[in-house]
Amino acid sequence: MIKVKDLHFKYPRNESNTINGIDFEIKEGEIFGFLGPSGAGKSTTQKILMKLLREYKGEIEYRGKPLASYGDEFYQDIGVSFEMPISFSKLTALENLEFFKNLYKNTVDVEPLLKQVGLWDDRDKKAGEYSKGMKIRLNFVRALLNDPKFLCLDEPTNGIDPANARIMKDMIRDFRNKGGTVFLTSHIMSDMDELCDRVAFIADGKLREMDSPRNLKIKYGKRSVKVEYRENGELLTQEFSMAEIKTPVFCDLLRDKEIETLHSGETTLEEIFIKVTGVALRA
Amino acid sequence: MPRLTVLVKGEFDRLNKYNLFSANFVVLLFWVLLSWFLEGEVLRTFLPVIFLMDSVMMTVLLVGATLFYEKKEHTINSIMISPVTENEYLLSKIIVNVLNSMITVLFISVAVYIIKGVTYNYLVLVPAVMIVTVVHTLIGIRFSYSAKDFTSLLVNFIVYAFLFLMPSVFAALGIISAEVARYLILLPPEASSILISAGFQDVELMKILFGYGYLAVLALLIYRYAVKPKFNEYLMKETGV
Ligand SMILES: Nc1ncnc2c1ncn2[C@@H]1O[C@H](COP(=O)(O)OP(=O)(O)O)[C@@H](O)[C@H]1O
Ligand SMILES: [Mg+2]
Repeated sequence: MIKVKDLHFKYPRNESNTINGIDFEIKEGEIFGFLGPSGAGKSTTQKILMKLLREYKGEIEYRGKPLASYGDEFYQDIGVSFEMPISFSKLTALENLEFFKNLYKNTVDVEPLLKQVGLWDDRDKKAGEYSKGMKIRLNFVRALLNDPKFLCLDEPTNGIDPANARIMKDMIRDFRNKGGTVFLTSHIMSDMDELCDRVAFIADGKLREMDSPRNLKIKYGKRSVKVEYRENGELLTQEFSMAEIKTPVFCDLLRDKEIETLHSGETTLEEIFIKVTGVALRA
Repeated sequence: MPRLTVLVKGEFDRLNKYNLFSANFVVLLFWVLLSWFLEGEVLRTFLPVIFLMDSVMMTVLLVGATLFYEKKEHTINSIMISPVTENEYLLSKIIVNVLNSMITVLFISVAVYIIKGVTYNYLVLVPAVMIVTVVHTLIGIRFSYSAKDFTSLLVNFIVYAFLFLMPSVFAALGIISAEVARYLILLPPEASSILISAGFQDVELMKILFGYGYLAVLALLIYRYAVKPKFNEYLMKETGV
């Protein structure tokens, strides 16, 4: 869907590059994520892919043609939500959506979407009176207005309560399951772990690692099992490597001792991120 | 509905919701009130000033205010990731302001006819107000690019008005010789003033033709070299919200 080769970008007034030579590909029908701390260059990359920042170096192809060769019809099939929720504050939520909706050829009915994100009852409230979380959900609906094929979401779940974040994540997955492609960015590890088919680690404008969350965990995880058990009233722990769990020592332990807990030594994406980049996700 | 129509309709909708229409209307009422107290020749000299002020100053301020809100609320980014082109967007601003100026012409003309029975050459006035509004919409957009906030836009405008109106005032006071004053038509507000005054008094045909030609070329040049190329840069410029 999108191929990026050796992308560099510098903001006109900055001295150094914000994006320092990144390569990646977003395949049709996948959820591809950029995970990285604040200031890493996630939003900048999103704006470049959305043709808003045009003075980049490197190659970007969308559906096999250079991104720059597309005119404004490019946006017919694309849904975007920015990091900062955007709306006309003095228009109601519905008026906001109606205005944007009329700018597209293909559109969807907003009622089911607003109901899904729990905003239908507040549809006639001015967007300026919405809470931050409501504004974010309204922007998500805005991104879906034109029945897009490609969704580009910048920090979609940041600043939203867990219940609504869950609804949004389900909607993003549904979108993918119906054949849509998603590029999303976040600094929230658990969201990326749950949602992404593939995730790239970004720090200081460079990509450090890219794979499915599962493969990353296998590659960097400890791959061990830790057993806590009681013997003569005393709590003991023993750790086994994946090879060792096939041995009688492990099986005997499970059979003979009073086991309290059994943990696989799976490492979280966050720990892997720190290990790979040397940077913490949250400052 | 064509996209341009959607943009124009949306813009009017917002002028209304953001109370910019009401602000504009208060100014119109003020003009009507002033006309009430003026008579005969004084009124006839004052009317072109109203239309000049409206199509120059109100246009710049209205453009500034709408762009300021769009920047502050980042809605311009949301418009730009839709199929709307830069040309459509900029053109919609021009159309909206021309329509607004037409509303002013209609409102004031009807009002002064009713209260004073005054008429003038509407067929000459309308195109003049149109072209003046087009030029000043573009100037307003260009000012907004470099303005940090609405106040700095106001300052820019006052500097512009001062620089370009002073020579005309000097000429009127006889400080500038008639010889030099002939060239003042090269100042946009002076050219605007000449075209609009043609609706109320006789103006040399050459001056009118030159004025239209000059403002048309000026509008194209501003659009092509001062507004269009910097649009994307303006779009991406983060203003302190
Ligand atoms: N408009 C801008 N002008 C100059 N520098 C910017 C601008 N926007 C972002 N930056 C800088 O670029 C870097 C990356 O920012 P960003 O892409 O927003 O990171 P992220 O989205 O990963 O938090 C930061 O150092 C930021 O200060
Ligand atoms: Mg960001």
